[in-house]
Amino acid sequence: MYLSPVIRTFSLLIQLVAQSGGDPRSPGIAVEARLAGRWGISVGDTIAIAAEAAGPAQQRVVEAIYRGRADPATALRGELAVRFHLADLANLLGAPDRVDRIGVAVRPGIGPDSAAARINQIGFGFRAYPSATIASESSQTFLVVSRFHQAIGFIAIVASAVFLLCIMLLKVEERRLDAAVMRMIGLARRTVFLAFLLEATLLASVGAALGAALAYLATVLTNLFYQRKFETTLVFAHLTPDIVLLAAALSLVLGIGAGALAAARLLGATPLALWRRA
Amino acid sequence: MAHSSVVIEARNLAKQYSINAAVVSALRGVDLRIDRGEYLAILGPSGSGKSTMLQLLGGLDHPSSGTVRLLGTDLADLNDRELTRFRLTTIGFVFQRFHLLPVLTAVENVELPMAEAGRPRGQRLARARELLGYVGLASRAQHRATELSGGEMQRVAIARALANEPALILADEPTGELDQATGGQILELFDRLHRDGATIVVVTHDEHLAARAGRQVRMLDGRIDSDTHG
Repeated sequence: MYLSPVIRTFSLLIQLVAQSGGDPRSPGIAVEARLAGRWGISVGDTIAIAAEAAGPAQQRVVEAIYRGRADPATALRGELAVRFHLADLANLLGAPDRVDRIGVAVRPGIGPDSAAARINQIGFGFRAYPSATIASESSQTFLVVSRFHQAIGFIAIVASAVFLLCIMLLKVEERRLDAAVMRMIGLARRTVFLAFLLEATLLASVGAALGAALAYLATVLTNLFYQRKFETTLVFAHLTPDIVLLAAALSLVLGIGAGALAAARLLGATPLALWRRA
Repeated sequence: MAHSSVVIEARNLAKQYSINAAVVSALRGVDLRIDRGEYLAILGPSGSGKSTMLQLLGGLDHPSSGTVRLLGTDLADLNDRELTRFRLTTIGFVFQRFHLLPVLTAVENVELPMAEAGRPRGQRLARARELLGYVGLASRAQHRATELSGGEMQRVAIARALANEPALILADEPTGELDQATGGQILELFDRLHRDGATIVVVTHDEHLAARAGRQVRMLDGRIDSDTHG
């Protein structure tokens, strides 16, 4: 069993000593895939490890290369991890009591709360927390950021609604002469209104579809960029069906509403008045 | 009761506009009767009232006083909806700048008034194709309005005006945007329409066009200055 992540507390100096065929008696370690990839480390390689720059180095054989779980709390720090057997780590650091955090996996069916309560009951000198509690405490920043995003989203929707209304008004105004001609040759006000409404609906639908496609492309590019930049599988942008539905509904309601408003405003005038103002 | 041969009858027609608190008289008591099958040109300098006359005859505007009776119906008796319907079924408009709907093809532009009138699709398509053939544009039926030349657009506009078999065709400077040769083709088309029995009223500055009409009404300062046949 490997325990983690003590390394965040201590900087380790590591050096690749030999490619494969190391001393099988030396304690094994597990190296995170990003670190292994960057330094060309493979399973079976021997690396020298020191807790401090001037400290004595010890050799360890790489027993495993693992891919760490994506963690938003640590992903952006760019830290790389090596996992030790607990006793080996304590030995390496020369200060076993300085281990400040230990992750404990519970078997399926055992509740994290009850496990933490049990550990706290029998343990001494440390305190156990369920991971959900720690996640909740560490994600307060994300909650604030999320609310900030919601506020930006709300402002964007209001601004785009005003923009959309203006565009629709302009688009319908551009059709003033067409409206005048249609009314002059005998098309009923209702027919012309419905024609404009249909056009607004088509525009809003096409706009919603293009917007959704653009948003999807933006999420793909955003994720590609940041996942590559931070070497993580974390998802940075997520376009959910709920968001698409909300955006499409807003686009249709605003587009059709703005189109109807603009068309009604235009068609309030007589054909001749429309003609003269065109 | 209007005589059966009378298409349109205007009596004591007057129209005043208020412009910056000043009242401008565009028409001052005009009487005009147009019989079925007549080809009439209304001429006059700018500001003589000929466009106002056309708008009143076409039910696009209301006179300040006087009456316009079209096929015996006093246009003042019709509300907006009825007047719109009346224009659709009784009058064909031809504009100086054609004013086809650019998103529609030639045949769709001609179909439009018939669709509004509630004609079945098959019937209106057949009629639209027939009319495009009549104006010599059968081969351009599927072209969008924006793909047509000025002369072609005006011919489509004439076909559109004929769509609902109107009792009266009102044309406002139909050759005003066309070169002489193309304008000549449009005049020939109007001649043919006249020979085929259409009642046509054309407002124009063009003396050549007016000369081809059987009757010339010259306007000056909101009054009919002369009304000649021949």
